[in-house]
Amino acid sequence: MRPFLGFRRASGRPGVRNHTLVLSVTGLTTPAARRIARSLNGVVVLGTQHDSGLLGYDRKVHRGALAAFACHPNVGGVVVIGANAPVVEQVAAAAEAAGRLVEAITLDACGHDVLTLSDKALRAAAGFVHGLSHQRREELPPAGLLLGLECGRSDPSSGLVANPLVGAVVDRLVDAGGAAIFGETTEWIGAEEPLVRKARDATVAERLKAAAARRESMAQAAGIDLTGNNPSQTNIDAGLSSIEEKSLGAIAKAGSRPIQGVIGYGEPPPGPGVWAMDAPAYAPESLTGFSTAGANMALFTTGVGNSYVSALMPTLKLTGNPATARRVGQQLEFEASAVFTGEESLDAAADRMVDRLLEIASGALTWGEILGEGDEAISRFGAVL
Amino acid sequence: MSGSTALRLAATDNVATALRDLEAGEVVEIEDQRIELLERIPLCHKLALADLAPGTPVTKYGQPIGRTTTAVARGAHVHVHNMKSARAQAPRPAR
Repeated sequence: MRPFLGFRRASGRPGVRNHTLVLSVTGLTTPAARRIARSLNGVVVLGTQHDSGLLGYDRKVHRGALAAFACHPNVGGVVVIGANAPVVEQVAAAAEAAGRLVEAITLDACGHDVLTLSDKALRAAAGFVHGLSHQRREELPPAGLLLGLECGRSDPSSGLVANPLVGAVVDRLVDAGGAAIFGETTEWIGAEEPLVRKARDATVAERLKAAAARRESMAQAAGIDLTGNNPSQTNIDAGLSSIEEKSLGAIAKAGSRPIQGVIGYGEPPPGPGVWAMDAPAYAPESLTGFSTAGANMALFTTGVGNSYVSALMPTLKLTGNPATARRVGQQLEFEASAVFTGEESLDAAADRMVDRLLEIASGALTWGEILGEGDEAISRFGAVL
Repeated sequence: MSGSTALRLAATDNVATALRDLEAGEVVEIEDQRIELLERIPLCHKLALADLAPGTPVTKYGQPIGRTTTAVARGAHVHVHNMKSARAQAPRPAR
């Protein structure tokens, strides 16, 4: 696999973007973060709706994710705003340690006046956009890439073409020293056998099975019929009849190389290769699990079309459904209808897709970036005060 | 998938996937089998390759994807109206 043009970081993975991020770490200041971002060209805005009531594991994941946004490989500078000074300081310190440009602004330091905060943050963010625009990309090895693998609004073509195609691309990246994460644990249910066959060892196999069994118990305990929820009504209309059928198609995204381990929601994988993240299946939460784990890009397959992307990871959207490719062209970075109709081999399509991936990694914009369809959604895990 | 109208993913599968919208009366060829369709099968939906008794595991990718809930005839549409997942089924409420 060829090198790509990216931004070298003082530590950690390289950037495929060099964003200025306006990050609100408390729900009270998120509207202000949006105001600041509206006033500037070329910034990404993220904010939480929560803060002080979060408890236990939920709080740990939430705070960890906010720090991970600030330290994301694709972020060059971050303006951290918030109404909770210790959290602002904690997130800013993490970004500073990661070598990012950082400005931390609390409401407390602005006399609790949100317009003063907005003015300070706007000026700081404008300075970062200006400064970061002078940095240049350099040639970097693909081994620095970590991909998040997602499928959304799947149909049976996803399991026949788009997901196996992603798997073939993942095989090529892993062979070049890179890494990938798949999640969506509910979509392991019914696919345990082929999944476990790829586990690096018996411990990983047991953890994969246990994670799938735990999700299955959660669905049972909720008393719902999973059919209609996952697969959703959209999946069903498109021809998927059961979670088993959807899962067997979904896991093809992970390719054929050994699964190195099972990681928790938002946890960075501790090494190269393919990793399984035990995580919710809904795309916004699932993608944020990958972005907070430090994935620099996402590969996202769809059956009928799906406009959602990550705000921090350029998201390469693809389909193998010829009808979808005709209908939602300005959603797709890549289409593999020719594989579906038998006019192109999966291998040839995978080579083309690697080229597309490296182009996007090197700065070519995705439709999702151009249209502003990106966001991040941190999963919630428990009761709040 | 060249030239075919439906695809069987594993030799042990008892369903195949339509590669285009297929009409009732069309004949699908899978290896040496010729299956006459009893009804319309939309793109990507499944058709039965054999007569399936109620409760038969439906197999795709060489793996079970659920069970038939009624008798399903060869050439019929196989979907949520005549098959059901065997996983994550809520326990029956206590009487």
